Amino acid sequence: MRESEVMAMEEAREAVGDYDLGWHDPEHSTIRFDSGLSEDVVRKISAIKNEPEWMTEIRVKAYHHFVNRPMPGFGDREALEGIKFDEVCYYLRSSDATEKDWDDVPDDIRNTFDRLGIPEAEQKWLSGVTAQYESEAVYHSIREDLEAQGVIFLDMDSGLREYPDLVKEYFCSVIPYQDNKFSALNTAVWSGGSFIYVPKGIKVEMPVQAYFRINAKNMGQFERTLIIADEGSSIHYVEGCTAPTYSTDSLHSAVVELIALDGAHIRYSTIQNWSANVYNLVTKRGIAHKDASIEWIDGNIGSKLTMKYPSVILKGEGSHAEVISIAYAGKGQHQDAGAKVHHLASNTTSKILSKSISKDGGRGSYRGMVTVSPKAENCKLNVVCDALILDDESQTDTYPTMEVANASARCEHEASVSKVSDDQVFYLMSRGHSEEEALAMIVNGFFEPFTRELPMEYAVELNKLMALEMEGSIG
Amino acid sequence: MSASEEAYLSLEEPPRSDHLWRYTPWKRVHPTGNPNEIPDGISTPEISLSMINGEEASDISLEMGNAISIPFEGSLVSNSFLSAITNGKAIRITIPENWRNETPLILDVKPTGGLDAVHIHVETGKFSEATILTRVQGSSEWLGILRTGHTGVGSFLQDVFVNKARDGNLMRVDALKLGRDSSVTAGTVSAGSAWTKADIRYLLDAPGSNLNVLGSLLSADQMHLDHHIEISHLAPNTYSRLAWHTACGGNSTSVGTGMLRIEKGARQADAGQLFHNLLLSEKAKANSIPELEVEENDVVGCGHGTANGPVDESQRFYLMARGLSGEEAEDALVAAFLNSTLSQMGNDDVHAWLIDAVEDALIGLNI
Repeated sequence: MRESEVMAMEEAREAVGDYDLGWHDPEHSTIRFDSGLSEDVVRKISAIKNEPEWMTEIRVKAYHHFVNRPMPGFGDREALEGIKFDEVCYYLRSSDATEKDWDDVPDDIRNTFDRLGIPEAEQKWLSGVTAQYESEAVYHSIREDLEAQGVIFLDMDSGLREYPDLVKEYFCSVIPYQDNKFSALNTAVWSGGSFIYVPKGIKVEMPVQAYFRINAKNMGQFERTLIIADEGSSIHYVEGCTAPTYSTDSLHSAVVELIALDGAHIRYSTIQNWSANVYNLVTKRGIAHKDASIEWIDGNIGSKLTMKYPSVILKGEGSHAEVISIAYAGKGQHQDAGAKVHHLASNTTSKILSKSISKDGGRGSYRGMVTVSPKAENCKLNVVCDALILDDESQTDTYPTMEVANASARCEHEASVSKVSDDQVFYLMSRGHSEEEALAMIVNGFFEPFTRELPMEYAVELNKLMALEMEGSIG
Repeated sequence: MSASEEAYLSLEEPPRSDHLWRYTPWKRVHPTGNPNEIPDGISTPEISLSMINGEEASDISLEMGNAISIPFEGSLVSNSFLSAITNGKAIRITIPENWRNETPLILDVKPTGGLDAVHIHVETGKFSEATILTRVQGSSEWLGILRTGHTGVGSFLQDVFVNKARDGNLMRVDALKLGRDSSVTAGTVSAGSAWTKADIRYLLDAPGSNLNVLGSLLSADQMHLDHHIEISHLAPNTYSRLAWHTACGGNSTSVGTGMLRIEKGARQADAGQLFHNLLLSEKAKANSIPELEVEENDVVGCGHGTANGPVDESQRFYLMARGLSGEEAEDALVAAFLNSTLSQMGNDDVHAWLIDAVEDALIGLNI
């Protein structure tokens, strides 16, 4: 390895600390586009995928919207201005096919997912798995009994090929490309992601999982996920994200659209653990019809800058939204996360719980919005934001907005910021724990309302991860 | 062109993405609607000072002098505009050191009816104690009030602003800097003006300062009340509380935006903000954005909350069971809601005066 490369690696290591998912495999690509974005790149992506014309057209329109749309006027504007769109690779294919058998996945990619424990998890407690490596899904499977019941679980490209009418009906229906600059970017260059349709009345008992891995340097990952839960159905979708440690930045800009039809239930759980050189700028929104419910369980541990505000539009009477999120902002990180809920119909309810920890100069921000429209009678909503600041270099912010236009609505918001209580640390130390262990226990307790909503395997992993993050916090 | 006019015109129009201007854009607040214009013909409203018991305020006088600027953070537009149209001059009220008088002072502001603006600056001397009740009444097309001040070491100030203007637009900008170990109770009572845009800021940049901000507002008819309250803790051992009660009726819109900022170095800061909105009619709207930025970890605690809701049915039922009609019960509950902050703005005399002052303003309002 050349001296300059060694220095770059060391620099990167310093930037991301003890991130233990930061290894990278040699790049193995069958197609790699040159860096930079143009209409030509957008058309080429569409052509490679052999997409219908309507999709190509929407991509091109979205591209022009992205070019003309200014950066968001809020959040970490300085960090946003640091994104070098011309240096990003917008499409990289590592495998020529999406395999249904692990043994058929190319060796180096399979090794990556083996190290991340994906096949093991699939055997034990999942209904289906999609693994995306760079721009494309490389592996995908679903339990046969669910397939027989009509459950569709595909990568998004296959979904578009096999169910074009269904995709056309719902694509961009919840998040139009004009929504924001990054939804426009995603719509222009999207690749991969998941497409799920759960038929009427089918309840998928075990979660399905997607795992997203960026391996190449300066890579942009723009997956697109569309989940449609038909009347009376239910599904729990889990996604995890990691990336290697490089000294240059990568960009992840996903769009996730959820449609819960009458009486359906969708839970979408995310553990985002990108390395600290990834910009994570994601738009997630669901629409809940009559008596439906949508839950976002959102964990933000990694990335350099996250701007993500999972949203729910409560369109149908009696629908319900719940967002439970945690954010950990460590050295060099800014977690600008939050939630939005729009109560458009009567008797709708929502609950937002946000918890954040800032440490080693990190900045955790909650940015949220709840609205009640004039025609929405008897709505109830509750927002709670708690933040812990662990040292004198860190910062926390809360920016909630509440717009209420119906007198029958009952709306509550509360936020608090505190440090770890000396009394709690003292108590735990008096029971024989070291100060570091005491701090880790308090932090895990602080995040407990979030972890108890996760599948057990994820919760255990998260607790271990937070204990690792707390190492070296004392002294 | 004066320096203050030049300073204003060099500023850019604030964008609506800035939450301070989200619901009430600067163009809507500006007296002519053209932010690039500094209108001519601005009058100074009639200002008088008296005691609450009707006697003259013999120890304290109003003096016209050059304005003293108080450093602002964030949006400068409204402050700069008011400085420009008041020609850098201010009416100064100075409370001498160790001055104590239990009888509150009343500062009456009576607009001329057209475009009016005034800058009032208050200085309280060391260890003084004063209560100043500022009352705006009468009719005006547009009234701008810039209120600046500084409290001396260990002083105690009760400052209540009562808006009884019958109509027109009110633009109010407050900037108060709290001295070491000084204590301020700042009240806002509002039941007037068709449009109100208030930008109220407090700087706690000396150790031991203590601030209690209270709001008691009724928005009715077609009113649009927009209050932004920004409290910045810069020094250690500072304390602040905010309780802001708004009853929204008719076809009105109320906006309460807050910014609670704990700067690095404000160790042991203790701060809390609460916005409560009572919605009384189908068409009323209430918007709240209580923001929080904390850069110091060694805090006693800081938090904020907001709650919106209708009149409590069980409370109404209880009052009706005691013989009140539905309307009387609701009036009583609204009055109690507004009185819970009003009663904390001063002693019993101040409380009685405030009730008298607002009672007649409430007559005829459509809630």
